[in-house]
Amino acid sequence: MAATSVQNAIAIAGGLVGGGLALGGGAIGAGIGDGVAGNALINGIARQPEARGQLTASFFLTVGLVEAAYFINLAFAALFVFVLGK
Amino acid sequence: MIPAGAALPTNTIEVGQHITRTIFGLTVNVDTVYTTVIAGAIVIGLGLWIRRGLTSGTPNKPQLIFEVIVDAVQRQVEEAIGPVAPFVVPLAVTLFTFILVANWLSVIPSGHHPELLPPPTADTNLTFAMALLVTVLFTVTGVRHRGIGPYVKGFFKPVLLSPVKVIEEFAKPLSLALRLFGNIFAGGVMVSVISLIPAFLLWPFNAAWKLFDMFIGGIQAFIFAFLTILYFSFAISEEH
Repeated sequence: MAATSVQNAIAIAGGLVGGGLALGGGAIGAGIGDGVAGNALINGIARQPEARGQLTASFFLTVGLVEAAYFINLAFAALFVFVLGK
Repeated sequence: MIPAGAALPTNTIEVGQHITRTIFGLTVNVDTVYTTVIAGAIVIGLGLWIRRGLTSGTPNKPQLIFEVIVDAVQRQVEEAIGPVAPFVVPLAVTLFTFILVANWLSVIPSGHHPELLPPPTADTNLTFAMALLVTVLFTVTGVRHRGIGPYVKGFFKPVLLSPVKVIEEFAKPLSLALRLFGNIFAGGVMVSVISLIPAFLLWPFNAAWKLFDMFIGGIQAFIFAFLTILYFSFAISEEH
């Protein structure tokens, strides 16, 4: 982005840093959440292999909900980088 | 010092642009409107096509798929709510199918700058409208089933939890809308970012991302429908 003034440069920098923070925090949260869900899935299958289908369905549901928070963060990061930080 | 004319390649990306018209002083995103109509027409056409081939003998493939979906939803609703509000099953199946078709519209590219056929769920207008519809429906059903007195008292029963419960009532429509919007909008943004890669190199990334995006679109459609059923069950059940 052409930095035409110090204020503009600070806005661009702020937008990029904000986007990076949003993505970082979201990735950490999603990673931990998916890991915990996977842990429960593996434990459940280890205890009861015949419950595999039901457990896998619940696992994907949980992953969908956890990743939702990440994607909301991604949408806000896009907002910060492309719209606010111009 | 600030290098003059320093440019990032991301400068060329614009997100959240819609084709708009101004009607009566309000700005309308007409691309969301017509893609919603297209997705709705596809869903209705699918329904009519299945109805035409409806047999009680051996079903053909689309009928089989729909029967599996409706059966799964019906089982889910019955174990969550029971036979109380019979319109929940068609509502959930319709929401699932419509959101699925709407999300998968993103597969068709047009190359025009504000996309000519964007997925309508990438616009907060549609997702908030759907979330608001679901919220109003389950609140009215809950009040009608339990009576306004017991419904409001249910907020204050564990007294310490009542602010949490009130916040939860606002978090439900907000999270429903933003979850769907964030997932699909982020899919579009990633395609824009991938387009910065030179053309001879970008096709595997784009293919992989698009497949993942379709998978996410499917999961988000299912989650929206599933949470609809869940919120209905919360509104109707006495012990919550």
